[in-house]
Amino acid sequence: MHTSRTTLALAALGAAAVTLAGCAGTSGDTESASSDAASETTTLTVYTSEPQEKIDEIVAAFGEDHPNVDVEVFRAGTGDLTTRVATERTAGEIQADVFLAADAATFEDYAAEGLLVEYTPADADALLTDVVDPEGYYVGTRIIPTVIAYNTSVIDAPPESWQELADPAYADQLVMPNPDVSGAAAYNAAVWSTTPELGDEWLAALAENNPVIADSNGPTSQAIATGAQPVGVVVDYLVRELAAQGSPIDVSYPSEGVPYVSQPAGIFADTDNEEAAKAFVDFLVSERGQQLAVEQSYLPVRSDVGTPEGAPTMDEIAILSPDLETVQNAQDAAVETFRDLFL
Amino acid sequence: MTTLAPRTADPASNRVRGARRRVDGVGALTGVLWAACAVFVALPIAALIVLAGDGRRIHTLLQGDVLEAALNSVVSATASAFFAVVLGTTFALLLDRTDLPGRGGLRLLALTPLLMPPFVGAIAWLGIAGPTSPVNLWWREAFGAPLWSIYGADGVILLLTVHSYPIVMLVVSAALRRIPSDLEHAARISGAGPLRTVVAVTLPLLRPALLSSFILVAVGNLADFGIPSIIGLPERYVTLATLVYRYLQSGTVEDPLGIVATIGVVVLLVALAGLVVDAVVGRGGHELDTSAVVVERISLGRARTSLGAAMWILVLLITVLPLVALLTQTLLRAPGVPLAWENLTLDHLITALGSQTALTGAANSLMLAGLAAVVCGVLGLGIGVVTARTTGRARRGLAATATLPQAIPGIVIAVAWLILAPRLGLFNTPWLILAAYITSFLALVVQSVAAPLSATPSSAEEAARVAGASRLRALIDISCRMALPAALSGAVLVAVTAVRELTLSVLLLSPGSQTLGVAIFNFQQAGAFSTASAWSLIVAVVGIGFIGLATRRQA
Repeated sequence: MHTSRTTLALAALGAAAVTLAGCAGTSGDTESASSDAASETTTLTVYTSEPQEKIDEIVAAFGEDHPNVDVEVFRAGTGDLTTRVATERTAGEIQADVFLAADAATFEDYAAEGLLVEYTPADADALLTDVVDPEGYYVGTRIIPTVIAYNTSVIDAPPESWQELADPAYADQLVMPNPDVSGAAAYNAAVWSTTPELGDEWLAALAENNPVIADSNGPTSQAIATGAQPVGVVVDYLVRELAAQGSPIDVSYPSEGVPYVSQPAGIFADTDNEEAAKAFVDFLVSERGQQLAVEQSYLPVRSDVGTPEGAPTMDEIAILSPDLETVQNAQDAAVETFRDLFL
Repeated sequence: MTTLAPRTADPASNRVRGARRRVDGVGALTGVLWAACAVFVALPIAALIVLAGDGRRIHTLLQGDVLEAALNSVVSATASAFFAVVLGTTFALLLDRTDLPGRGGLRLLALTPLLMPPFVGAIAWLGIAGPTSPVNLWWREAFGAPLWSIYGADGVILLLTVHSYPIVMLVVSAALRRIPSDLEHAARISGAGPLRTVVAVTLPLLRPALLSSFILVAVGNLADFGIPSIIGLPERYVTLATLVYRYLQSGTVEDPLGIVATIGVVVLLVALAGLVVDAVVGRGGHELDTSAVVVERISLGRARTSLGAAMWILVLLITVLPLVALLTQTLLRAPGVPLAWENLTLDHLITALGSQTALTGAANSLMLAGLAAVVCGVLGLGIGVVTARTTGRARRGLAATATLPQAIPGIVIAVAWLILAPRLGLFNTPWLILAAYITSFLALVVQSVAAPLSATPSSAEEAARVAGASRLRALIDISCRMALPAALSGAVLVAVTAVRELTLSVLLLSPGSQTLGVAIFNFQQAGAFSTASAWSLIVAVVGIGFIGLATRRQA
């Protein structure tokens, strides 16, 4: 104890001297990658926005096939994760091996900056073509549509379109996640603002209804289920889960179509465990991994594993799937507009 | 007095010893302790000031959202501190100076909010007064709108008050013990009623204690993260602590560390200004000899029963209701289902207890709290003993430096360590959290060691010196041993505080170093309310049980 404290004290003192001498520019890379010398077990670090229980199940299932890979998970909202990655880039190297988070646009940015390993998973042919990056930097792992959800004990006739949400009848009744925090919400804001029949005008009308802006999708679904805000905009799997538990909540698929994110996975080029990282990505889209996704109420990215109970198949719902590049270019401005209007 | 003889008898040798002081064992020990203080206190503050220092970002402080958050912070901190002083002082007066029925039980219950981490309290109160709490649902059924929702400014102030009045109670109770009740007795004999006696005699004598507890509470509440984040944000009531978190976590601003450092320095200055006021006003306070007269309790007369009942109800509302709410939230099958026997299940509790994240968080918290307790215990013992038993400017400065962080809001300490992290190679390691814990909690041990030790005469130590022990030897063999129990209880306090801490770790967490507080906070944020409630319940019950056992053993 004493020696380690002294070592720390000495190291810190040295650094203090450097800091106080005003040495501003050099951000010395003192990061020492934790050595795996202890055993042949490799540690794989995954940054993800998956809910904690879900990623825990995924890691456990992956561990059955790969007992020598120790997966360490860091879970946070997509916004938190991208900030963390940005901080780590300035501080030294990215700590994560695998990135599994909401929207493809983030991955496009990373790929453009050369941060990702080019890798197309083993089973790519079996997957929906929309979710596989043509350049091979990332692959979608589940389909997560954003829908309208409503509390069945408060609302008798649910809204059937996005347009209807801007109806003054829903003033003070709405709740939706914050695009600053939720990657899916940021993507949705971009899709809405680039969809001709909605656009910024509709967003402005929606803001007139004074919706509660919850931090992310989790609290949003809770607010709807408890009836605090009986109508809301939220990802569909949360609604199915709450309904299965017995909450008075149901979904309404809007007539204009639903935007969806594909929760892509990619591998950072800084990784020291490329093999383990590839195995993890392979597992996510494998038959086994996708069966698990279905058990977790997600719509899968392959057609041979069925769909969750009560969920429609992809061809039963209208999809808003605009050009990725358009959405990507519009996203920052859309989030800014959203912040001006709602926050 | 005779023990002083050897020194005065031989002034020459005394001077020689004085000259040697710089190199003897005590000098070396002082040097080591100074080095530790430099690392854990001076270094983070310096880093903060250096990063904020160039003044280029002052203009960002005048931006709308920073100004608004600053205003919200100041209002919620001072308002809650004011209410806490009123409530805490009333409780202390009733419990210490009157014949209220059931005082022992009341005191213990009234202190329990101190044992519940503020963010756990926030999660619990959502179940009592959230928009869909049973009361609000019932009210909405009857009148069309909820009665009162805890979200927003009023809720933040209420919860900050609830979680800080016990501190005021402790400070005022201690001060009351120093005010001789014969003064009050004299006033009563001269014909003053009980209320008049309190207002005219007791309260003026309490003024320094009231002011210093007000400042202590206001500075603490200025930095709280859990309550404004869980209760304030849904109504977009942003305080500096939650704004700092947003700046750091969601990448909405350029150069977040620089701006946050600037905010941190401003908060630091505000907190220091408070301390200066406290010191200046405190110096003008009345010092009275402790009276040996048994406290004469004021008879409440006919009001005794009704006042007693009112206080029991209030205290039970504040302490037991949150636990009931947590239990309900944990057991309810799904959000939105009515509260009925068939809708209760143990499933969520079982899921929560099996959650790997929470278990890892708990293990990390235990480890970090244990290490922080050991480091703070050892350093605090050393600093406390050196401060109390040796003289000179260097030593006084040592105590002042070690206790300075008490005046620094946790969020500022976290930011300071965040700035240092990459340079020290601590980025993304749990040691970063440990370092911040040591900065924050070292003062707890120093104070519990130094105060009682200063009050005991140093004759035993002088005897050891006469018997030929070196200064260091005498210090370690005599003073350290005497102070060891105080250091131990200080270290336990550090461990208990650190194990369920949120404000520091939420900003310093990294993969694999999540703490229990952050794990619960994340469950809440991700919408897993039942899991968050289950763990909050566990933390609250274990905390209360632990302190309950500790106080029972003492009694």
